[in-house]
Amino acid sequence: MVSYIVFLLVVAGIYALLAQSLCLAWGVTGLVNLGLAGFFAIGAYASATLTKWGGAPVPVGLLAAMLAGAVAGFVVCVSTLRLRDDYLAIVTLGFAEAVRVVASNEIWLTGGTDGISGIPAGLPRDWGQGFHLAALGIVTAILGLVWLALRRLVASPWGRALRAVREDQIVAAVAGKRVTRLKAEAFAIAAAIAALAGALYGHYTSYIAPEIFQPLITIYVFLAVTAGGNGRPTGAAIGAYLLIAFLEATRFAAEVLPGVSAVQAAALREASVGVALILLLRLRPRGLFPELSQKAPA
Amino acid sequence: MIITTRRTALFAGASLLAAPGLVRAQGAPIRLGTLTPLTGAGGPYGPVMANCVKSVVSDVNAAGGVLGRQVAVVSEDDQTNPEAGVRAARKLIDVDRVAAIMGTWASAVTTAVAPLCWESKTFLATVSGADSITALPHSGWLIRTQPNTTLQGRKFGEYAVELGAKKVFFMAPQTPFTQSQLANMKPPIDRAGGSIELLIYDATKPSLRTEVDQVLRARPDLIVLGGYTPDTTVLLRDIFRAGFRGKLLAYAYSVNQQMLSSLPNDVTEGIYTLAPSPAEGSGGFDRVKRIVGNDNPDPYTCQIYDQINLILMAMAVGNDATGQGIRDNIRKVSQGGGDRVDNAVDGLRAIAAGKKVDYDGASGPCDFTDAGDITDCKFRYEQVRAGRQTLIRIA
Repeated sequence: MVSYIVFLLVVAGIYALLAQSLCLAWGVTGLVNLGLAGFFAIGAYASATLTKWGGAPVPVGLLAAMLAGAVAGFVVCVSTLRLRDDYLAIVTLGFAEAVRVVASNEIWLTGGTDGISGIPAGLPRDWGQGFHLAALGIVTAILGLVWLALRRLVASPWGRALRAVREDQIVAAVAGKRVTRLKAEAFAIAAAIAALAGALYGHYTSYIAPEIFQPLITIYVFLAVTAGGNGRPTGAAIGAYLLIAFLEATRFAAEVLPGVSAVQAAALREASVGVALILLLRLRPRGLFPELSQKAPA
Repeated sequence: MIITTRRTALFAGASLLAAPGLVRAQGAPIRLGTLTPLTGAGGPYGPVMANCVKSVVSDVNAAGGVLGRQVAVVSEDDQTNPEAGVRAARKLIDVDRVAAIMGTWASAVTTAVAPLCWESKTFLATVSGADSITALPHSGWLIRTQPNTTLQGRKFGEYAVELGAKKVFFMAPQTPFTQSQLANMKPPIDRAGGSIELLIYDATKPSLRTEVDQVLRARPDLIVLGGYTPDTTVLLRDIFRAGFRGKLLAYAYSVNQQMLSSLPNDVTEGIYTLAPSPAEGSGGFDRVKRIVGNDNPDPYTCQIYDQINLILMAMAVGNDATGQGIRDNIRKVSQGGGDRVDNAVDGLRAIAAGKKVDYDGASGPCDFTDAGDITDCKFRYEQVRAGRQTLIRIA
């Protein structure tokens, strides 16, 4: 049981990193990024190929993943400058699918649908429980750092400008904010965080394949961020832990229900995610940790 | 009142702990897990597979269980997704403490779950076909009942030649076995002076008309369909609409009874199918037919039927209901001569009587190499006639 919970805390930490990414791009800047799974994949592949086939140490892989994510984020952002809201959502969703299709078919680069197995972890896997605890420590520490940095960024004048862009980018431009640059910066940083999460996921589980990076992951993270409160890094992180707790708790709840077959239980689990979201939006429409209104500096 | 109940419960719990270990072990059921896709792309197959395991286990429990203990099955959903599959496998291993996991379907899920299994000494039986799976460093913790792609590809190539095809087109989504399937279909066709080309499509598209038109421009006389039921259904509709008059060859697991009843007979008429098959007269296949209530059970259900039977007998023969016991003893019941059995109830009785058993199952003879691949497999050749699978031969 303990190792199961440790494992879930690591996975939840990785989801929380993805939630930090989405909090910055969507919650603070207003860019609906449905391509999260794509950036997650880019990070995972960048780090996995570099460390497994290139022989680079894991920390170098993590840095390379962030760089790759930032570059991809920058490219996606500048090529979609004129798009907002639904249109940006469609294009970013398409981007994530394109990443998955490329990962499936460019076998020389990514190993194709076989995926990449035996990715080095940077820690000895035969430590047993120790390995998982060490991974938990590392992932949680990285999440803590990202969370702290994001809190500072969001509270800074730069963060305020991002919120201005979110509310009305024409007004922000009139007020002298460089809207394009702000959006590109925020999107690139957000993509780098998502890529870091992907790299950590690959190193921890030792295996990645295109099928992992389905839109389902993006949707889960949107749920987490919506539940926690999309404008606050704290809310996004807690939302991710709640999401994993909820997803796993439904497993045990379904077992207790009498007269429910395994298929019905699986369907009920998926339905319950939707019901929980509807209830949450009905009762706490701005999430559990709503964005605080900041006073103008004196 | 509440206090009394609590005290009673506490007392009961304490006395249970105080009882000798043996008594407790006999009381606790042996736990086995199924990890099949109940939702997602594998959704048409996983539920039937999970039910089949439950049915076999309830028969065995009714006949007295294994090693004097009852068997409990925990079914989890891998959502046809490696990330969700790993979470579900962790739960089966760490919380339910299952001795074996059966039925992982998508190759990516199997590859993701396999390391968890061998690290935690849990046995894994899979139906995934990718060649790379048995090449993993699993040191005996994994078997698969699906023939690997090398064998299946060759059979498809030979059958295409037999059907008189000169120009073959292979249409498939990109999966871990697509490339090796093509590589192994090619030699027999080349030897017969024919040619084969490949077109990869995206299995999630709602229409594949452009892909079909592209293939038909090459004027093939036979198209091999390499997908699963949902995308093959789309593909068959578009092939019919495009007016293709050549022959079609597909896996029997995609052109199954479920699909045949959902498409008009005109669309499916004449499709040839191939599937790994048990020898004729095998009782295992008939048993699976009865369990699923269908004359044409899919090969995955046949395979998971074999997996659960083998695992139950391996635990009995080794007198060890752990993953280690299954790993060390499974080949003692699957091969090497002895009484031929096709179900665990008969097998367990024979083992209890001190006899050696050799299991021949619903999916084939179920003999395994050291790497965990099956050594030999017959194939079932069928053709769809008026909306029904009609057996041509088993060879």
